[in-house]
Amino acid sequence: MSLLEVKNLSVEFHTQEGITRAVNGASFTVNPGQTVGLVGESGSGKSVSAFSVMGLIPNPPGKIVSGEILFNGKDILKMNEAQMRKLRGNDISMIFQEPMTSLNPVFKVGEQIAESLILHKGMNAKEALEKAIELMDQVGIPNPKSRALAYPHELSGGQKQRIMIAMAIACDPKLLICDEPTTALDVTIQKQVLDLIFGLQQEYNMGVLFITHDLAVIADIADEVVVMYKSNIVERNSVKSIFNSPSHPYSKGLLACRPGLESNPKRLLTVSDFMDKEGNELKVSDERKKPFTKTYDYSGDKNPILLEVKNLKTYFPVKAGFFRRTIGHIKAVDDVSFQLRKGRTLGLVGESGCGKTTLGRTILRLVEPTEGSVYYQGQDVTGLEAKELQALRSKMQIIFQDPYSSLNPRMTIEQIIVEPMKIHKVGVSDNERVDLAKQLMEKVGLLTSHLSRYPHQFSGGQRQRIAIARALALKPEFIICDESVSALDVSVQAQVLNLLLDLQDEFDLTYIFISHDLSVVNFISDEVGVMYQGKIVEHAVASEVYNNPQMGYTRNLLSAIPKGIPKS
Amino acid sequence: MKKESLWGEALKKIVKDKISLFSLIVVLVYTIIAILVSLGVIVGDWHQTVGPNYAPPSSDFIFGTDFLGRDVFKKVIYGVQVAMSVGFISSMISIPIGVVLGATAGYFGGVVDEIIVWFYTTFSSIPTIMLLISISFILEKGITSVYIALGLTTWVHLCRLVRGEVIKHKNRDYVQAVTAIGGGHARKLFRHIIPNVFHVVIINASLQFQVAIKSEVILSYLGLGVQEQPSWGKMINDAKQELTSGYWWQLAFATLAMFLIVLAFNILGDALRDALDPKLKGKES
Repeated sequence: MSLLEVKNLSVEFHTQEGITRAVNGASFTVNPGQTVGLVGESGSGKSVSAFSVMGLIPNPPGKIVSGEILFNGKDILKMNEAQMRKLRGNDISMIFQEPMTSLNPVFKVGEQIAESLILHKGMNAKEALEKAIELMDQVGIPNPKSRALAYPHELSGGQKQRIMIAMAIACDPKLLICDEPTTALDVTIQKQVLDLIFGLQQEYNMGVLFITHDLAVIADIADEVVVMYKSNIVERNSVKSIFNSPSHPYSKGLLACRPGLESNPKRLLTVSDFMDKEGNELKVSDERKKPFTKTYDYSGDKNPILLEVKNLKTYFPVKAGFFRRTIGHIKAVDDVSFQLRKGRTLGLVGESGCGKTTLGRTILRLVEPTEGSVYYQGQDVTGLEAKELQALRSKMQIIFQDPYSSLNPRMTIEQIIVEPMKIHKVGVSDNERVDLAKQLMEKVGLLTSHLSRYPHQFSGGQRQRIAIARALALKPEFIICDESVSALDVSVQAQVLNLLLDLQDEFDLTYIFISHDLSVVNFISDEVGVMYQGKIVEHAVASEVYNNPQMGYTRNLLSAIPKGIPKS
Repeated sequence: MKKESLWGEALKKIVKDKISLFSLIVVLVYTIIAILVSLGVIVGDWHQTVGPNYAPPSSDFIFGTDFLGRDVFKKVIYGVQVAMSVGFISSMISIPIGVVLGATAGYFGGVVDEIIVWFYTTFSSIPTIMLLISISFILEKGITSVYIALGLTTWVHLCRLVRGEVIKHKNRDYVQAVTAIGGGHARKLFRHIIPNVFHVVIINASLQFQVAIKSEVILSYLGLGVQEQPSWGKMINDAKQELTSGYWWQLAFATLAMFLIVLAFNILGDALRDALDPKLKGKES
């Protein structure tokens, strides 16, 4: 008998806008000791399916309209709330995406793990805490005895996710549901967390349902993969068959759209290369698939130097005490120097907190530097007066990470794109500016009729296109992309990367591309700088960094990238 | 996907809920009455004796008459105008003060922030009612001093809220994006940040409005407020002597009129908060 059997599940959401069917007749099973990957882009219904298993679909607006969810042969959908509560956290547990918000900030982490033990296992507080410390040791937290007394904010993101895992396995669950548990983490931490989940699964013979938008993540831990697209399951097969011979065009697209480390086509393949809007399969031309080898000769580059950063330092004071005295500094950017030639792309990689974002913002003087200089076409940006800086801003632009927060929610797309032109007096009349905005919308692949809409009416990928259109409005020469594709699904990420490359060819743009994802940086960059603790520790031509890394830190980063090769 | 602004959506939400819709209608009816009274279209003759003194509510005088034989119904209606104008004008004084000071403090931070925070903390340490009384003593007694007194004492709470919201928003990416395209302080503050915190002002105003109405009643009751016009506070004050003789109607109807509008503003304030606060809408806004 299967541990979990979902049969013909359909879930609908009833809202003011109408009825949306989030899951349409989904069926899949999870056996004890088996890992099943549930893969799809945001809005495909994968999380709704998993939440149904936990009985966590809010009703209203959600409603399970048909199907059965059998857990050990019993239909979960027929259980009452009291029976469900006994099941949740005990036989079925869940790990969420965002460890920062899933832990209660006012309780010590040891107490939070102990809570479910007291609740489900009837332990007293002392026994539960001892068991909690044991669990923390098991999930690899150093000094578990003292860390059990720590509050969530005292732990790093990876450690918090370990605590979440300890909580999830506290009551020896038979089924563990992981909802994108590594999406918010750095690659190196992601690898550790994946190894941990896989190890625990082997040890306890749990069934694991692993939800993700990125196939590569689960390649070496899943046994079976279920691919969801637009509320339907389009393919369900063993992990090997999915990776070696995917049958549905959407699965093919999903596999192809992630940039690889070895070779890539000139432009990444996307889902739309494999199927049209109606879902019919398309033939991908060999021309499109042909691997493209970038050749970049760093020393022989004749392009003029556009940007030169010399000994740049950005320190943030740490203040303490009643009089807020400065007791030290956080060296976010510590003595960084490099040159960037026109029309080239410099990729900056590193883990969160390494200073790459601050470096980008200091170059644009969104953050004031502590020391050093930034020369843009020979002019020192750090010494400019407000007036001169404003004039220069039309040449240097930035595209932010989170397309949800970088667009003003109370302005229409037209107002957002026209605004920079107004500030810099591009175009003589409003009509002319609106015409320019329309051209930009077409350039970034959006409909001109959408100009009158508000940001919340667009998806994440579309919003990022709007942010790109705004950055292009002033015809800049230089753009900093600060984790600009990190918040997007892999399938959407490929489209935006292709767009950035097309725009670079057309307008001869120079990019600094900041990302924690090395495969993305490898694909888009000519040269790569690896940042660690505020310094650039390795800087070379992209292929050089990837094929022949000099520093141990770079090698660690490289080995942590999910390879996308199924386990044998 | 329809083309719709956040305000349009909010209005739609309020109209959908029966209780909020009722509150909105109450507020609109009171506003219309207030405008009609100001224009002199209705109850301009409130001061005329129309019947015997202290006539209880009947078909002739549905709210009864007072000690001079004046119609209590007309006095209550006139009181609507007094209350609404106090609420409206005092808000018009307190909102600009609160928004400008709060936004300046939050946006610029540093010394500017410290001076403004010091100022409003000091200001709010004075008991409000004492401040109201002293302001009405300094200015001439009458409705104008009630406007000014209330306007000058109710901005502190709003100022604090706006300051907090501005601090939260000024480091958001969309404001950084304006810096990156070369926008100055004025553009960032007035075109970008303030529209995003303005829902706080609206919600606060709807709750402040009823505080102002109640304060006017208190001031008038204490004899410091409205002089030559009828107001709910004065009517309640009259009831001091009347109740012992069993003349309950002035008190009852003045209180009822006040209760309705205060309740309506409270419900409307909550409904506005639900409809406008982006926090309650998740990532959608």
